[in-house]
Amino acid sequence: MAFDKDAHTDHISQQFNEELEAIKSHLMTMGGIVETQLNQALDALVDGDEELAQRALKADEHVNDWELEIEEQCTRIIARRQPAAGDLRMIMAISRAVKDLERIGDESSGIAKHAITLVEEGESPRGYNEIRQIGSLIREMVSETLTAFARYDVEMAYKVAKKDRDVDDAYKTAMRSLITYMMEDPRSISRVLNVIWVLRSLERIGDLSRNISQHLIYLVKGVNVSHSTLKEIKQTING
Amino acid sequence: MRVSVKEWVKSGQPWVWLTGGAVALNVIMVAGLLLLIAVRGLGHFWPAAVMDAQYPESDGSVSMIVGEVADVERVPAIQMREAGYVVADGVEFVRRNLIKVGNRDLSGSDFRWVTEAELQQVQYSDLLFVAERREWGNFYGYLRQLKQAGESVGSFEPGQPDQQYDQLWSELQQRIERAEAIQQQINAIEKHQIGTINSRFERLRLQQRRLELEQSLNAAAQADISAERASLDLQYQQLQQQLVELYGQIERDSLVAEVAGGQRVEISLSKVVQAYRPNAMNVLQKTGFYFGQLWSFMSEEPREANTEGGVFPAIFGTVMMVLLMAILVTPFGVIAAVYLREYAKQGPLTRLIRIAVNNLAGVPSIVYGVFGLGFFIYFLGGNIDQLFFPEALPAPTFGTPGLMWASLTLALLTLPVVIVATEEGLSRIPRAIREGSLALGATKAETLWKVVLPMASPAMMTGVILAVARAAGEVAPLMLVGVVKLAPSLPLDGNYPFVHLDQKFMHLGFHIYDVGFQSPNVEAARPLVYATALLLVVVIALLNISAVAIRNRLREKYKALEH
Amino acid sequence: MTTILTPETVTPETIAPDSGTAAKAEKPKARGHSIDISSIRSSQASMDLAQETIALKVRDLNLFYGDKQALNGISMDIPKNRATAFIGPSGCGKSTLLRCFNRMNDLVDFCRIEGQVMLDKEDIYQRGVEVAELRRRIGMVFQKPNPFPKSIYENVAYGLRIQGINKKRLLDDTVEWALRSAALWDEVKDRLHESALGMSGGQQQRLVIARTIAVKPEVLLLDEPASALDPISTLKIEELIHELKKDFTIVIVTHNMQQAARVSDYTAFMYMGDLIEFGGTDDLFTTPQKKQTEDYITGRYG
Repeated sequence: MAFDKDAHTDHISQQFNEELEAIKSHLMTMGGIVETQLNQALDALVDGDEELAQRALKADEHVNDWELEIEEQCTRIIARRQPAAGDLRMIMAISRAVKDLERIGDESSGIAKHAITLVEEGESPRGYNEIRQIGSLIREMVSETLTAFARYDVEMAYKVAKKDRDVDDAYKTAMRSLITYMMEDPRSISRVLNVIWVLRSLERIGDLSRNISQHLIYLVKGVNVSHSTLKEIKQTING
Repeated sequence: MRVSVKEWVKSGQPWVWLTGGAVALNVIMVAGLLLLIAVRGLGHFWPAAVMDAQYPESDGSVSMIVGEVADVERVPAIQMREAGYVVADGVEFVRRNLIKVGNRDLSGSDFRWVTEAELQQVQYSDLLFVAERREWGNFYGYLRQLKQAGESVGSFEPGQPDQQYDQLWSELQQRIERAEAIQQQINAIEKHQIGTINSRFERLRLQQRRLELEQSLNAAAQADISAERASLDLQYQQLQQQLVELYGQIERDSLVAEVAGGQRVEISLSKVVQAYRPNAMNVLQKTGFYFGQLWSFMSEEPREANTEGGVFPAIFGTVMMVLLMAILVTPFGVIAAVYLREYAKQGPLTRLIRIAVNNLAGVPSIVYGVFGLGFFIYFLGGNIDQLFFPEALPAPTFGTPGLMWASLTLALLTLPVVIVATEEGLSRIPRAIREGSLALGATKAETLWKVVLPMASPAMMTGVILAVARAAGEVAPLMLVGVVKLAPSLPLDGNYPFVHLDQKFMHLGFHIYDVGFQSPNVEAARPLVYATALLLVVVIALLNISAVAIRNRLREKYKALEH
Repeated sequence: MTTILTPETVTPETIAPDSGTAAKAEKPKARGHSIDISSIRSSQASMDLAQETIALKVRDLNLFYGDKQALNGISMDIPKNRATAFIGPSGCGKSTLLRCFNRMNDLVDFCRIEGQVMLDKEDIYQRGVEVAELRRRIGMVFQKPNPFPKSIYENVAYGLRIQGINKKRLLDDTVEWALRSAALWDEVKDRLHESALGMSGGQQQRLVIARTIAVKPEVLLLDEPASALDPISTLKIEELIHELKKDFTIVIVTHNMQQAARVSDYTAFMYMGDLIEFGGTDDLFTTPQKKQTEDYITGRYG
C-alpha cells in the first residue's frame, strides 16, 4: 500500500502517533542544523570568513548528538512498538537518512576546515567560481531533499536525484579546468588541491542528498531505489 | 449399490437407528399413556344416547331396558355357554354391552350386562330424559307429570302431540332452575354463614378454656363470653329459621316419570341437579353440554362418596400443598447448599454430608410419611399443642395430620433435589465473577447476595421444578400425614385465620386411589379415575410449566459468560 | 519513554545560530525550529526508579502453595503513576505476585505468605487490615472480562453501592466519570440500562476497568487484561492504560511481551518465582542486563 501522508497520525495508540511525530520533527530539526552548517561552511569559504567556518565546525558536534539521539529513538520504537509496513519503512528511512545527514555534516565541517586553511594561506583563489556554482546547486539539493522529506513529496525527491547528475557533470567539468590550472601553474597545486577537496566534498554531499531522496521514495513507494537508474525511479514514482 | 453388513455397522448407521428408535419408543409410550387416560376420562362427560329396548331374560320373560351403553366387550362363546347362556352354534364371539340403566333406588344397581344380539326393538326416543340427582345416581325415564305442592300443574301421556311434551319439559327446566337457586342459598347459609358462626363458637369455647387454664376466668370475662355466645345463638336461630323456610320452598315441586317397565316414580326437584334429553340434542348442544359437564367436574365439590360431582377441593388441596412445599423447601435447600458449597471447608465431612443428602433422595417415600407422622405430627405437633393450643386439648390442633405437616414432609422428601441442583448452579458460576466482586471491595456475603445467588437462581428454579414434579405425584406419604378422602372445608377460606395449615385436605392422587378402590360403585367411578388422573397430569404440567417459565426468564436475565 | 516536545514548545533561543541564507523562506515550518538536544536528553533520565515516588514496596515476599514455594524473596518498588509490567513464561509467578498486592491469594486454601507489601508505609498483610477496604484501594481487572449480569450502569455503580453510596446524583456522576475515563461513555451512554452482557468483549473489558476505577483505587492491577481480546480491542485497552496512568498506579501482568513493551514504563522479568530483572522498559528491551532476560525477550527460550 502506498504511504499516506498522515498515516502516522491515526494509530489507535495516541502515544505511538506522538512518538512518530516526534522522531520526524527531530529529523527535520537535525536537517535544519545540517543545512545551516553547510551554508555557513560555504559562505565562510567564499567570503573568507574564518569565524563563520569555526562555527560550522562546532555545529558538527551538535549534529553528531542528534544522530545518536534519533538513532536511539528508532531503536526504542522498534523495540517497543514493533512497527510494521509504513511505520517500519518510516523508521528505516529515518534511520538511514540520519546517517546520511550526519555524513553531510561531516563533509560540511571538512569544507569549513579547508575554508580555514584557504583563509590562512590568504591569496585570491582560483576555482571559487566552480565552488560557487556547484555549491549553489548543492544548497538547493539539500534544501529540496529536506523539504521533500517534510512533505513526503516524491516528485521533489526525483528532482533532487536528477539534479545530482547535473552536479556530477559540473564536477567533472570543474575538475578538468582545475587540472588545467595546476598544469599551467604548478605553484598553485597545493591551493587548487584544497579547492578540489572542497569540490569533492560537495559532490559527496550531492550523492548523500540523492540517497536521502531515495530513502524517501522507499518510504513512500515501498520500493528500494538505491541502485536504480533515473528512468527506473521515474517509473517507480509514477507507477 | 450393495453395502456389506460390516460396512453398514462401521458407518454408524445402526447406532443412529437404535438411538432414534429408543426416542421414538419413549414418545409413543408417553403419547399413548396420555391418549388412553384422555380418551377414557374425557369421554365420560359426553352425553351418550339413551336407548329403549326389549330384552329377553333368562327365565323367558321380556323386560324393558332404558339406559346408555357404557362399555362393549367381546366374550368367547364358550365362556357364555359355560355360564348357562344359550348361544347359537357356529358363533365364536359374543358382543356384550354394559348398559348404564341408572335408577339405583329402584333396581338396586346402576349397570347390567346384556348380549347385544338379543336386544330387540331398540329405539332412541327423543322423549327419554336423564336426571342427574343428588342421591342415587342418574335417573332414566319418560317425563309424565309435574306437581306443585302435590297438585298437578301439567302432564303428558303417550299419544299426545310432542309439543305438549316440550312444553312440559321447559316448565320442568324452569322449576329445576328455581330449585337450584334455592339450593345455592341453602348452601351459602350452611357453608359460609353457619360455618362462620360455628368457627366463632369454637373460638369462644377455646377462649373460655384458655382463660380457665390461665385461671383468669373472672365474672366479667365470663359475662362477655356468655353475651357473645347469646348473640351468636340468636344469629344461629335466625339462620336456622331461614333454612327451614328454604327447605320448605325447595320441596314444593316434584316430577313424575315413567321408568322402563311402566312403573311411575315421583322425584322431588330438590334432589335433581339437572335434567337433559340427550337424544333430542344436536351436536352443538351436546358440545356445549360437554364443556359444561367438564367445568362442573373441575369446579364443583364431590357428591355420593366422591363418585359423582367435581374434584375442585382435590385440585385446590394439591396445588396449595405443592406451593406450600415449594415455599418451604426452597429456602431450606438453598441455605443448605450455600453453606455446603461456599462456607464449609471441603473435606471428608462435607463429602459425607453430600453422600447423605444424595441417599436421602433414594429413601422410599412412604418412609418419609412414617417419619412425618412420628416426628412432625406426634412429636412436634404434640409439643406445639401443649405449648400454644392447650385450650383445645384433648382435641389436637397441630398434633394431627394436616396440610402443614404434609407440606413439610414433602419438603423433606424433595430437599435433596433442591440442594443438589443449587450446589450445581453455584459451582457453575465462574470464579472470575466472584473475584470481580471481591476485587471491588465486596465481602464474601455481599458477593454471594448480590452476584452469586441471583446468577444461581435458574439452577435453584430447576431444583424447585424437580421438587414440584416429584411432590405433586406423591400419594403414599400423604395418606399418613394429612390427606383425607373428603375434607369438610378448603384450607383457605374467609374464617380467621384464613389459611388453615392444621386442616386436613384432599389431593388428586389420593382421590384417584379412593375413587378407584374404595368406591361403593366401581363401574360408575372408573371414568372418573381416568378423568382425575388426566387432571393430575395437567395440574403437575401446569405447575412445572410455570416454574420453567420463571426459570427461563431468570436464565435469560443471567445468561452470563456461558459462551 | 520519550517526553514529547512538539516544535511549538521550543523557544527561538534554542535554535542554533543561523547565517540566514536565501533559501530560508521556502523551508517547511518544522525546520524553522530546532530543539535543544539537552532537553530531550534530560527527559530520558526521568525513567529512573530512584527519582520516582513509590506506591508499593515489596520486601522479601515468599509465597507457598502447600509445600511448594511459588515466590522466592521478591523485593521491588512499584513507582506511583507509572505503568509497571510483569513478564515471564507461564507459571513464573507473575500473576501470583500481582494477586498478592490485593490479597486475592487469601481465597486460595493452603496458600501461605511471608514478607511485606507496603502501601503507604503500612504492611497490607498486617493483622487487622480490612481486606475489603484494601481491595477498594487496590483494584483489580482480570484476564477474562467478567461483567456482572446487571445493567451497564449497575455494573459501574456496584462498588459504590457496596460502600453504601446510594445517592443518585453522586452515582450518576461517578458512573459517567468512570465510563468516560474508560473511553466507553460515547459508546454506551444511550444504553446504560441495558445488560452489560450484550457488549462486545473489548467493551466488556473496558466496562470492567470503568467498574474498577469507579471506586477510585490508588493502584490498578491488571491481570492479562487483553489476552482474551482481539487485536484492535487490545490496542484500545493499551491506549486506555496509557491514559489511566495519569491518575492511577498501574501494574500489569502480560503474557505478551510486546504488550509490556508498548504500555509500560518499567518492566519486571520473572522466572520460576524469582524476580530476575526489574528496570525501565526501554533499557530492559534494548539492553537487558541478565542473559535470562535477553533469552526470554528475544524468543530463545520459554
